[in-house]
Amino acid sequence: MKKFELELVVGFFLLLGIISLGYISIKLGKLEIVGKGGHTFYAEFEKTGGIKPKARVEIAGVEVGIVTNISITDDYRALVELSIDKSIKLQEDAIASIKTKGLIGEQYVQISPGGSEKFIPDKGKIRETESAIDIQEIISKYVFGKI
Amino acid sequence: MKKFLNFSILCLIIIFLSLLSHATVAIAGEATDQVRQTVDAVLDVLKDKEFKKPGKEKQRRAKLREIIVKRFDFEEMAKRSLALHWSKRTPQEQKEFVSLYSDLLENTYIRKIERYENEKVLYTDEKIDGLYATVKTKIVSGKEVDIPVDYKIFRKNGKWEVYDIVIEGVSLVNNYRSQFNQIIRSDSYEELIKRLKAKALKEP
Repeated sequence: MKKFELELVVGFFLLLGIISLGYISIKLGKLEIVGKGGHTFYAEFEKTGGIKPKARVEIAGVEVGIVTNISITDDYRALVELSIDKSIKLQEDAIASIKTKGLIGEQYVQISPGGSEKFIPDKGKIRETESAIDIQEIISKYVFGKI
Repeated sequence: MKKFLNFSILCLIIIFLSLLSHATVAIAGEATDQVRQTVDAVLDVLKDKEFKKPGKEKQRRAKLREIIVKRFDFEEMAKRSLALHWSKRTPQEQKEFVSLYSDLLENTYIRKIERYENEKVLYTDEKIDGLYATVKTKIVSGKEVDIPVDYKIFRKNGKWEVYDIVIEGVSLVNNYRSQFNQIIRSDSYEELIKRLKAKALKEP
C-alpha cells in the first residue's frame, strides 16, 4: 500500500515536470498552439535585408504583431506575411518599412499609419512599402562611385 | 463536327487571351509614357538656353512648376504626409496646408533639379496593380552615381498622377509623415504651419 503511494507521488511530480517543461518551451520559443487571432496582412518588398519570421512589427515603437512568413513572388520580390493585433486597423495609405535597430541591430517592420478613410481588409495587401536600406551598399556607391 | 467546334472554341480562347494580354501591355506602356512626358518636359526646360540667361530664373521656375503641377497630385501627397492629422483639419486649413506643402516641395525639389543639365533618365520597370502603379527610373549623370527614382502613381480623372516619389529606397511621403507627426505631437499643428511658412519665406 505504502509503495503504491510513493509511486503515485513520483508519477505526479514527473507529470508536473513534463507539463512545466512544455509550458516553458512554448513560452520561450513563442510557439503558438492556438493562433493569437491577429489579422493577416501581406506586403511586398524589393529587399528584406534578411528579416526573419517572428521579427517584430511596430507602430510608434510598440509591438503590434509579428512577421509570420516570408516567401518569394514570381517576379523575385519578397512577400512578407504579417500577423497584426485584431484591434489595430491599417489605413490604405499606411506605409510598411523594414528598419534596423541601430546600425547593426535586428531587423523589424515599422508601419506608419496613414490618413485614408479606407482600411485594408484582413488578408489584404499593404501597397506602400519601403525596402530595407543597405547602408553598406549606399556607402560603397558614394565612396567609390560608378565605374 | 464536334472536333471542329472544339477547335474553333480553342481558337477563340487563344485570340481572346492574346487580345487581353495586348490590352494590358497597351495600358502598361501608358503609365511610363505619361511619367516620361513630364520628365522630358522638365529636362527640356532645364536644357533650354533661353531660360539660362540672367534674369530668367523666375520665368524658368514658373515654367517648371507649371509642368510638374500637371502630373503631381499635391493634394494627395499632402494628405498622405499629414496622415492621421489630415481629417482633424477643417477644409480651409487643408487648403492652406496643401498650398504650403506644394511650396515646400517646390523649394526643395525644383531647387535640386535645377542643377541638372546633362542627366539622362532611364525607365527600367513598371508595375501596375489595379488603379495604382510604380514606374521605376534611374537618373544617370555620366560622372556621378546613378540614382534610382521610383514614381508611385495612381489613376485619377483618366490619367496617371504621382502621389509619392521613392528616391534611393526612401519614400518622400513617409519622410514628411514622420517629421510632421513629430512636430504636431511635440508642439502643435500651428507650430508646423509656422515652420512651413518660415521656410517658404526664407527661400523665395
